[in-house]
Amino acid sequence: MMTSDNNTQLPNMKKIYYSVCILAISLGALTQAAPPEAQLPKTHLKLFKSRCYECHDSLMEEGDINLEDLSFNISKDMKTAGTWQKILNVINSGEMPPKDEKQIPAEMKAAFLDDLSNQLVAARKVLSDTGGVITMRRLNRREYRNTIESLLGVSININALPQGLGAGTFDTVGASQFMSSNQFEQYLKLGRSAIDEVFDRQAAQSQKPMVLRIEPEKTINPANEKEAKAIEERQKQFTRWQVGVDKVAKTPENQAKIEQLKKKHPSITHPINFYKYADRLEGTPNAKKFGFRDSPMAASSNPEWDRYQLAYHNHYLTLPHREKGTYLKLGHGTGRIDITPKKLPPGTYNLRIRAGVVEGTQASRRFIEVGHPQRKVPSWLRGIEGAPVSKHQITGTIAQPQIIETQLEVGAHTTREFAIQERQPTDLKALWDAHNALKRSNGYGHPPAIWIDWVEFEGPLAAAEGQSMAIDWWVGHDDDLNELARALKILKQFSRRALRGIEPGNDFIKSLLGLFENQRKIGEPFDIAIRTPLSVILASPGFLYLNEPGNEKERRKLNDRELAVRLAYFLWSSPPDKQLLELAKKDDLHKPEVLRQQVDRMIADPRSDQFVSGFVHQWLDMERLDFFQFDVNRHREFDESTRAASREEVYQSFTHLLRDSDNGRLGKLLYADYVMINGLLATYYGIDGVTGDEFRKVRLPKDSVRGGLLGMAAIHAMGSDGVESSPIERGVWVLRHLLNDPPPPAPPNVPQLSRLEGKPLSSRERVLAHQEQAQCASCHRKIDPIGFGMENFDAAGKWRTMALYPEGDKKKNKANKKNMWIIDPSGSFHKGPAFADFTEMRYLIAKWKEDKFARGFTEHLIEYALGRPFGFTDEDLAMNILSSAKSKNYSVSEFFQAIVTTKEFQSK
Amino acid sequence: MKNKFNRRHFLRGTGALIALPALESIGFRQFASAAENSAAPPPKRAVFLGFGFGVTQESWYPDITQTGAKYDLSKGLAPLVRHQKDITVVQGCSNQYNNEAHWGSTFWLTGANRYAVAGQSMANSISADQVAAQYLGQDTRFTSLQLGSKDAGGSGHGPGLSLAWDQRGKPMAGQNTPLELYHKLFSASNLPLAQRQAAIAERRSVLDAVLTQAKQVQRGLSKNDIDKLDEYFQGIRDIETQLGKEEAWLEIPKAKPPIHEPASGLKGKEEIKMMYDLIAAALQTDSTRVMSYRQPVQSLLQSLDITVAPHNMSHYTPGERMEASQKRDIAQSELLAGLLDKLKATKEADGSSLLDHVALAYGSNIRSIHYLDNCPTILAGGGANLTMGQHLALSKDTPLCDVWLTMLNGLGVQTERHGDSSGVVKKLQV
Repeated sequence: MMTSDNNTQLPNMKKIYYSVCILAISLGALTQAAPPEAQLPKTHLKLFKSRCYECHDSLMEEGDINLEDLSFNISKDMKTAGTWQKILNVINSGEMPPKDEKQIPAEMKAAFLDDLSNQLVAARKVLSDTGGVITMRRLNRREYRNTIESLLGVSININALPQGLGAGTFDTVGASQFMSSNQFEQYLKLGRSAIDEVFDRQAAQSQKPMVLRIEPEKTINPANEKEAKAIEERQKQFTRWQVGVDKVAKTPENQAKIEQLKKKHPSITHPINFYKYADRLEGTPNAKKFGFRDSPMAASSNPEWDRYQLAYHNHYLTLPHREKGTYLKLGHGTGRIDITPKKLPPGTYNLRIRAGVVEGTQASRRFIEVGHPQRKVPSWLRGIEGAPVSKHQITGTIAQPQIIETQLEVGAHTTREFAIQERQPTDLKALWDAHNALKRSNGYGHPPAIWIDWVEFEGPLAAAEGQSMAIDWWVGHDDDLNELARALKILKQFSRRALRGIEPGNDFIKSLLGLFENQRKIGEPFDIAIRTPLSVILASPGFLYLNEPGNEKERRKLNDRELAVRLAYFLWSSPPDKQLLELAKKDDLHKPEVLRQQVDRMIADPRSDQFVSGFVHQWLDMERLDFFQFDVNRHREFDESTRAASREEVYQSFTHLLRDSDNGRLGKLLYADYVMINGLLATYYGIDGVTGDEFRKVRLPKDSVRGGLLGMAAIHAMGSDGVESSPIERGVWVLRHLLNDPPPPAPPNVPQLSRLEGKPLSSRERVLAHQEQAQCASCHRKIDPIGFGMENFDAAGKWRTMALYPEGDKKKNKANKKNMWIIDPSGSFHKGPAFADFTEMRYLIAKWKEDKFARGFTEHLIEYALGRPFGFTDEDLAMNILSSAKSKNYSVSEFFQAIVTTKEFQSK
Repeated sequence: MKNKFNRRHFLRGTGALIALPALESIGFRQFASAAENSAAPPPKRAVFLGFGFGVTQESWYPDITQTGAKYDLSKGLAPLVRHQKDITVVQGCSNQYNNEAHWGSTFWLTGANRYAVAGQSMANSISADQVAAQYLGQDTRFTSLQLGSKDAGGSGHGPGLSLAWDQRGKPMAGQNTPLELYHKLFSASNLPLAQRQAAIAERRSVLDAVLTQAKQVQRGLSKNDIDKLDEYFQGIRDIETQLGKEEAWLEIPKAKPPIHEPASGLKGKEEIKMMYDLIAAALQTDSTRVMSYRQPVQSLLQSLDITVAPHNMSHYTPGERMEASQKRDIAQSELLAGLLDKLKATKEADGSSLLDHVALAYGSNIRSIHYLDNCPTILAGGGANLTMGQHLALSKDTPLCDVWLTMLNGLGVQTERHGDSSGVVKKLQV
């Protein structure tokens, strides 16, 4: 589609647009229609007349409140909105009307609260409408990281930078960003560490890459044999010591003592625990002589207590194929293969693992995780710190192992060691519970699942061509220039790149050079001295802010360089590349056909993944996915690996549509007959025939509940608290993101329902109770039915037909008829059609709500792209983009093509 | 003490004329007067402790019908019984503008209206601790210290980097682990003086460099964007002020730590206890006179073996969640009682206790669940000369800022208003 099509729909806009370009006439004055208002419908006047004016009219003015003179135009001014907020609050809290006065009928009250709370949200929008002014913004955390990476080829840890105070807006919105002394110092520090890393990487490139090969049968297996022997030996020693203890325990003196100890330590009567207290008896043989620190230590080697552990270790010692490799243990024993090179300079490394799966292993145990070993409990040879860096499905067998190959990045702040383990939940207790249950049935515990032949770790690898070029020009010596001239050249070149093509001022360069000279004066070598000014460039406002000169009186069209910057940060969250800047230099970029081509190129470029993860995460409120620790007893498979994969599924599904300009219809996020998954998620969803770590498109059978956002584990997990599903969270999410009908924020001070406390109620009964009170019903009659329609998905997004009562004992996890109920997902949309189950509900949403969904998406995209809240003045803009996209079957990429051609996107 | 004295003479002798007037005002006053043998009164201090998600309303508040000096502490406050005479429980206060049911700390000390600035989705104003710091912070190495934790995200605090918001309503960052705070307070630099001076000079040149660039960027910007860039300029100015102070304190060694270096990785209850110990240590050594602490809730629950997620707990109903909420109340009260023990046991030079000179406030903007009225508020200490040993029931919806104003006035800050205050709370004044 051509841009002109875009404008034909709104001829006025086109005219204005060009007049701005040519004549630079004030745009603001021309496009201002009547200012939007947030009006409370006059129908509610009746409520006021009958229930409020008696005390709060112009005569009585009780509590200094005169409602008669209060404007129904809530957005009239801040004060009016404030007064309406108070009215909402006192009615919500039940304070008004007073208890002894006539109350408002429930239906009337619900309708009033519904309108008022929604109009208040609208009023806030009207009152905060900037009239299209885009406040200058700085790089947000993601963009800062990507920009540093693109400039220097190093990846930095941005956790030290504070997140914005957005509170409901995108991280691209300048007005919600802040800057402080503390933050400035963080930028200086991060910039310096990035520059340091560049030099370190450069130095490492001159050395031969290291190759580390681990043959676990030579290291882990002998250590395990030793360990088993030691356990055996300790048990023997205990038995010898035990004889002596048993003997002295019989004396009347000690019997009396035991009676005495019983009062404070009742566990002394336990035949195994008894030995812990042996030191307190008279004449007990000294545990130290038997190799134990004290009697509690000795007691822990009691074979009665410890026999499973030995059986477990011995089981692994007798497994076949031990002479060639090792088995990763789960929960106890050596569960990791550690990679701990003596030196690990920054760079890129190759990790190769030859591995196979034990025959008959269940699907969910056929994965390994690579990460950094935990060292908090040094004696444990298991566990990785935080989330895994990567995870891999093992499809080979011991007879025919496969070689997994992956690349690992080591930066300045990367932990300098790695480890490989079988995939497992971070909650160790749950793992041990599972182990204990298994050992009771098989006599030893977790059976082996993963066999590792060898591990190879190699690097740092030679830098890719472009990457090394990026740093050579200043690290390499230029013999023709004297030192100062060389520093000057470096600083000028780097400034130009860092400032995205803006020529650095002479004063700036001069003071940078001064910093360099200071360092030289105190004796620092050139390669060190140059780092101070280089890192200062990375903390300067020209680098940190996306600054575009402007004038509040009239909008102007962006020049091509500015357009390149906007495009790049919009579609890549990264700075413009060479091609964009060159097109800008030739003044070609703004030309419609060039622009269209460039948008296509940028979408196809892997850098647009940065847009997807940044935008989709915020658009769909995906931070909730990380809010909760999942209860491992109930949701064993929803571990960190699944959580990460489920998030990726959402991103991949969006990216798939974005890059498919022919069939990438936005509505496929509402329903699709395929999923974008990898081997791990296929295992999770119970879909056969998908293996490997790459995400790909997989067709679904006709009756599948998967397909579309509503079928994704991440979306359900977000609508839970890690233990139970939350129909309310889910209902709100659907209204907000799919139906573009966001409920107003949960009001403060609403009395909580207590009538039903302590009774075993299904979540449906519990939530339906919401609708008894008008304050709650006004929103919950919309929210709850949708939430119930999704109840067949448990907290972790697995399909279920029965659910546990929320008040059931979570720890025991014993489901029986008494504490379960059959889920009834049927319901109907508020003032809308009925549905019998989830698939019908999803069908109705996909069929009837695509326009609404597209509208919500457009508003969010405008906010993200322009870096300012979507306002009422943006109505035409939104309609313009929507109609362009609709004419192309709501192809996702078309929204992007449309938005970048608007005058809003192209003007300051 | 002796060292300082000698250095002061040394400075005078070598004609460090510029440094001297500054030194007079910072920390030496106490010493100088001590030398003259006339005991100056110990300085006043302010401490604010905020705990995000509120309390269990059924069991935390004392019975509203028993007010004044004769009242029974509630179950949730029981661990404070040994301090009953030294605390005052205040009921009835709220921040009228806050409508954010999950923001327990953002506006707690500011009383601001989120929507006060058109075009901004979120605005705030200066917090009470920072008002106090402007007045009390001049003579100490650290004007104020902001303490926090790494789990602020799940603790019901709302946006912000600590409890503190600066003059312009921007969030202030601070120390988020006991170890970090310990080093800030007590760890000395090994570098010789000349090098440390050079480092400060170097930092100044860095600021000069970015300022020249900032001026270049500023040219041609619209008024709106110039205002935005002003945040950057202000940040630089703040660092300059800070450097000035660092320079003045360069030759004065940091205080000797009265406690051992904390272990790293403390979480939950242990973490809060250690932070409290460090608060006492910082005040005792007069390293600062104003401190705020945005306490962790999530890790506190975990350390109490409570598996309920904090947000779920805050929406308690009778049963597991309410029990968790009550357990949390008691743990927090025990911790506070421990801090008060410590402040009482620490003696000032004149024999009075540290607590006699501290004005401490403990509370949250959230009462419980989604309620934002009757914010839980406990005051302690003699620093602001407030009535102690009381249970006060103020009239409903008294601005919480009235309490902060009364406290600030008591500390000697001559101000007539703070946030949305309507006046001082007479009942709190002795």
